[in-house]
Amino acid sequence: MKLWRRIRTAASNLLHKDKLESDLDAEIREFADAVADEKINVGMDPSEARRIALAEIGGVEQVKQAVRESRSGANVELLWQDVRYGMRILRRNPSFTWAAVITLGLGIGATTSIFSAVYSLVLRPLPYAKSDQLVSVTAQSPKFQLDVLVSPDFVAAQHALKSFSQLAGYWWANRNMTGSSDPVRIVFAGVTANFLPMLGVKPQLGRSFSDSEDRPGGPSVIILSNRFWQSQFGADPKVIGKSVAIDGREETVIGVMPRSFSFPNYGLEPDVYAPADIDRATSLSVNRGVMGIFTIGRLLSDISREQAQVELQTFLEARARTYPPAFGPLFNGRRAMVESLRRHLTGDDRQPLWILLAAVAGVLLIACSNVANLQLARALSSRHETAVRGALGASRIRLIRKSLVESLIVSLLAATIGIAIALLVTALIHNAGMSSKASTITYAGESFQLPSGKLSTLIQVNGWVVAFTVGLALLVALLSGLAPAVSSGRTDLRNALQTAAFRITSSREQRFLRHLLLVLQIGLAVMLLAAAGLLVRSFVNVLHYDSGFDPNNTLTAKALLTGNRYHLPELRRNFARNLLPRLGAIPGVKAAALASALPLAQVDGDAISFSDNPNPPVGLREIMPTISVTSDYFRAVGTPLFKGRAFDNRDTAASVRVAIVNRAFARQFFAGDALGRHFNIGQSDNGQFRFLPTTIVGIAENVRHNGLSEKVQPEVYVPMDQIPSEEVDFILRTSTDPASFAKAMRKAVIAVDHEQPLFDVETMNERLSDLVAQRKLLMLLIASFAMLAMILAAVGVFGVFAYSVSQRTQEMGIRLALGTSRSRLLRLIVTQAAGLIFVGGAVGIGAALLLSKLLVSTLVGVTPHDTLSFSLAWVLMTLIALLASMIPAVNAARTDLISVLRQE
Amino acid sequence: MEQNQTNLLQGTLDLLILKAIGDGEFHGLGISRRIEQITQGTFQVKPGSLFPALHRMEEAGWLSSSWGESENKRRAKFYCRTRAGERQLGIETQEWETIARAIGNALKAT
Repeated sequence: MKLWRRIRTAASNLLHKDKLESDLDAEIREFADAVADEKINVGMDPSEARRIALAEIGGVEQVKQAVRESRSGANVELLWQDVRYGMRILRRNPSFTWAAVITLGLGIGATTSIFSAVYSLVLRPLPYAKSDQLVSVTAQSPKFQLDVLVSPDFVAAQHALKSFSQLAGYWWANRNMTGSSDPVRIVFAGVTANFLPMLGVKPQLGRSFSDSEDRPGGPSVIILSNRFWQSQFGADPKVIGKSVAIDGREETVIGVMPRSFSFPNYGLEPDVYAPADIDRATSLSVNRGVMGIFTIGRLLSDISREQAQVELQTFLEARARTYPPAFGPLFNGRRAMVESLRRHLTGDDRQPLWILLAAVAGVLLIACSNVANLQLARALSSRHETAVRGALGASRIRLIRKSLVESLIVSLLAATIGIAIALLVTALIHNAGMSSKASTITYAGESFQLPSGKLSTLIQVNGWVVAFTVGLALLVALLSGLAPAVSSGRTDLRNALQTAAFRITSSREQRFLRHLLLVLQIGLAVMLLAAAGLLVRSFVNVLHYDSGFDPNNTLTAKALLTGNRYHLPELRRNFARNLLPRLGAIPGVKAAALASALPLAQVDGDAISFSDNPNPPVGLREIMPTISVTSDYFRAVGTPLFKGRAFDNRDTAASVRVAIVNRAFARQFFAGDALGRHFNIGQSDNGQFRFLPTTIVGIAENVRHNGLSEKVQPEVYVPMDQIPSEEVDFILRTSTDPASFAKAMRKAVIAVDHEQPLFDVETMNERLSDLVAQRKLLMLLIASFAMLAMILAAVGVFGVFAYSVSQRTQEMGIRLALGTSRSRLLRLIVTQAAGLIFVGGAVGIGAALLLSKLLVSTLVGVTPHDTLSFSLAWVLMTLIALLASMIPAVNAARTDLISVLRQE
Repeated sequence: MEQNQTNLLQGTLDLLILKAIGDGEFHGLGISRRIEQITQGTFQVKPGSLFPALHRMEEAGWLSSSWGESENKRRAKFYCRTRAGERQLGIETQEWETIARAIGNALKAT
């Protein structure tokens, strides 16, 4: 039969059911009468004839049922019956329904939330044209862990590499913009002319850069980001052609990026785009500066990443042979990397997501087994009903289906709650992402405020996530419904009917199933608790890390001394010289200082050498993190000076070069005895790059940089006057709440330079909590999942034993009647529970040992099989579970002998 | 004969019904009796099989039905064959002949 016809008949059957039924009834009755008439006609007694006719037919109702089942749409109708029946059952047991729906809803909600994150960050296609062909291209040498190609290599590669249809590049810098309203600090990106076309992006207003604009000395044209256009230009549609001053240079706006555009770098979202203006020379020379170019390529459709990587490697090795000998050591052992752009975009930090997904899967499994246990218990109490249905002719399949339909309804209700929870959670994550100073996001260290940087703002619930949830609900229905369904379908009818009148203990098989599920739950909960313990301990360790400075009562901020107002070192020195007295004069400020980097922040390296040659070969140079600081720096950040002195006004540009080194430096290069010793720092001296001898005048406590969990590196501090930096960080040590000094600090800066924007004004403690935000989020999530798992498992223990006690009331009564004491009854139940809880705990510890392998990279200061976390998890779960089993046990012990005996 | 009542070959019921109705108009009992008659009593179709088959074939469009009066002056549902039913009879007859020939050959083979 044609499908369409079938659907039509099925629909019409369902619609005209009453008429169909009455016709059917009339037809079969008429048939029975006609058979009877035949028999009467041959002389049979009429009532006898009717009886025999009915017997021959085999029952009017049976025939009618056979016809009904042969109709199109019969299955739909049966299903509908099951659904209605299921709803009725669920309405009649509200406590079961709510317990099941809420349990599963929490599990599904947690899983959906985490899946939304996984989908948005890992699975969703990138928002660029044919994004699967896009790759990031880098070359990493053992000496430089950089994600860039040097500009001569980039230019040469654009023509030489055959694996790519295009290579595009960008660089970025912090700049100051004046001219629109208040001076602002902006993230400025130089992109090659083919960059936007390669990504398939067109400006929403104006145009892209042309090839002729992308050259050194080319026209000053810029494209604004949508966000910047809105915040600084009030979304002015006539912005094209206007000009603004960036670091003192007039730039003409030629376009505005589309709203949906997201820059393909996880830590960077530029405010302003300009042509990259890369020098077209392909040779590397000591006399010419090079730029680091972040490179993105589009692979030809028939080329794999591996092939491209091989070609790039060959290319780089050939290039290295053309370098002047001085560069050799810098680029030796360089390794080509062609990675999918997604990795470049979402960063390496995906492991937390997988850990979270594993954790929620655990919670979901517990929720499922809880509901399965509830269902099993209910299946047992409705065994009599099931048996009666079986006796009346319901097939086994029909009984299993009834039970599955019931769990399906529960799961779908739970999925609704789950999606609501997920919407809530993603809205929270989204808001957290938006409020996190999105306008001043900078690179590396500071972009880790949120898991996966700016991308957390992209996390959302969409069609795929909803599909995932519905799929999950179906799976959950199957998981939690199958065990009870099969077990009820297997009921031995006769046995059930005979014994249904009595309340007997459950069959051995069912009890085993329920206990197995219980052990599984406790195991999963112990596993999650142990993982949470490891993360909490790591977090505490990170917070209590000896960071080498005092974050309390400290206000910090940043400014950039760039552009032609500060192009000379002397101009930058003046800024500091004029500003510091004003900062120090603010009432309540104990110490004020400027530095090129704050504690925990990213530090740039300078070249140093221990040989006396003013221009040592590259191989004798070391790249050493170097921080320029003003004299009060160590007092302001609260880092103890260990030996020697702080910088003071003796240390000027004209005086002998001095440095303070940290303990790690002193130990590594001078066996701890560094005071008064010399080394050389490479710097510009009267327009020439030379290595100047420097005396160590002090040794400072080690301070962590590049985040909280990085190892302490040897580091060098130099006077700001001797090496004035372009990026300056402000540090104020205050006597009261540091946040209240922000206004006075801004005022002091404007008094010195009214065009100078001050940004990232934050207390040191805020910076600290930003740094640990991701770790904290992961810890809090895992800890809450573990708590949830523990509570669900406890509910599971309670449910199983409450049920088994209610089934054994009679047994308890008899035991009491035979003289057992009540405390022995209590012990009977608790001992049984304790056995299961013990086994569950052991299983959990085993599973935790496996899970902790996943966690290794996130652990700080604890081993992955930390005894304290593991034993605490076990003890905690055991206590809670025992407590949960006590309640039904006490009830059992309170069994009222008289009422039990009367019941029968 | 008792056993044969139930051993109605799967798939042959439709064929028998279509053949039994022919160009006439029959109610349920009539069709049942007609099948008994044309198979010389080899097949007795029970109402538990007959009515589901009739309703299924009506849904498939091979039969059409109308209410009328039986020979005993009772209201009864009469079935007659549609053109689609005729085509179906042709198809099923051919299939049956193919099977019958194949089985016959198989049994003759040594």
